[in-house]
Amino acid sequence: MSETVVKRECDRFRPIYYAAASGDFNPIHIDKEMGQMAGLPGNILHGMCTMAWAVEAAIDALGGDPGDLARVKVRFSKPVKIDDTVTLTLKREGKRVEIAAVNQDGEDVLKNAVAEGR
Amino acid sequence: MALDPKFVGRSYGPYTYQAGLEKIREFAVAISTLPLPYELARQEPAGLRPVYHDEAAGKASRHGSVIAPPTFCVNFAIAPFLRAVLDPALGVDVGMLLHGEQEFVFHAPVRPGDTITTNGKIDAIYEKAQKDFLVVSTDSVNQLGRPVVHAVWTAVIRR
Repeated sequence: MSETVVKRECDRFRPIYYAAASGDFNPIHIDKEMGQMAGLPGNILHGMCTMAWAVEAAIDALGGDPGDLARVKVRFSKPVKIDDTVTLTLKREGKRVEIAAVNQDGEDVLKNAVAEGR
Repeated sequence: MALDPKFVGRSYGPYTYQAGLEKIREFAVAISTLPLPYELARQEPAGLRPVYHDEAAGKASRHGSVIAPPTFCVNFAIAPFLRAVLDPALGVDVGMLLHGEQEFVFHAPVRPGDTITTNGKIDAIYEKAQKDFLVVSTDSVNQLGRPVVHAVWTAVIRR
């Protein structure tokens, strides 16, 4: 088994870049007040961006070729907020990578996250 | 108001999407560690996988061209899921919607110039812990008829 750790930061513009790149302009991601109106701490990062971070880290854990990734599954358990730091811990065993994603307060932002190589 | 399970099986699509090199590059930058996209013009994109943006690196790779990051598929595979959550018949309160779970099964990589067709359907509607769950599965194929990605999208609607 091998273990790697990757840290990713959600700078205040990250949800805006991700909105443009993904086409997901849901206002809860790009506008603080809209996020608060939806009962969130503010605007939150797209879960899919957190998942992209996990996927890219899993590709590295599997050897670095994106074509070797066969499957990935995650549960979004806690929103990623502006200025959050997400620590991704990847445990690889054979073709299977278990991914833990934890914010600076020790809360899981992803749960049951797993990637599989070909 | 609970979502009505009678909509399980309802299908959405086909939706077509034309993948472009610059869009793939833009997406790769957005998920990279680069502080600002405009810095790409002023610095080597350290931390950005060359096969996602550099045509020479793509050509030299076993893929033979630039390929998109796997999660780039959100750009096209999400279409049936969005149509479902915005379907007036279902009446989802989108202001209370969160992305609950996500699964992708990757088949073929996406390349610049690919035309990708996506179909989807509602797989499940259920209620748990005072929340509604809406599960949509999607299948995307490229212009050669090859499967690109199978995805399962789970929305959680708070009350």
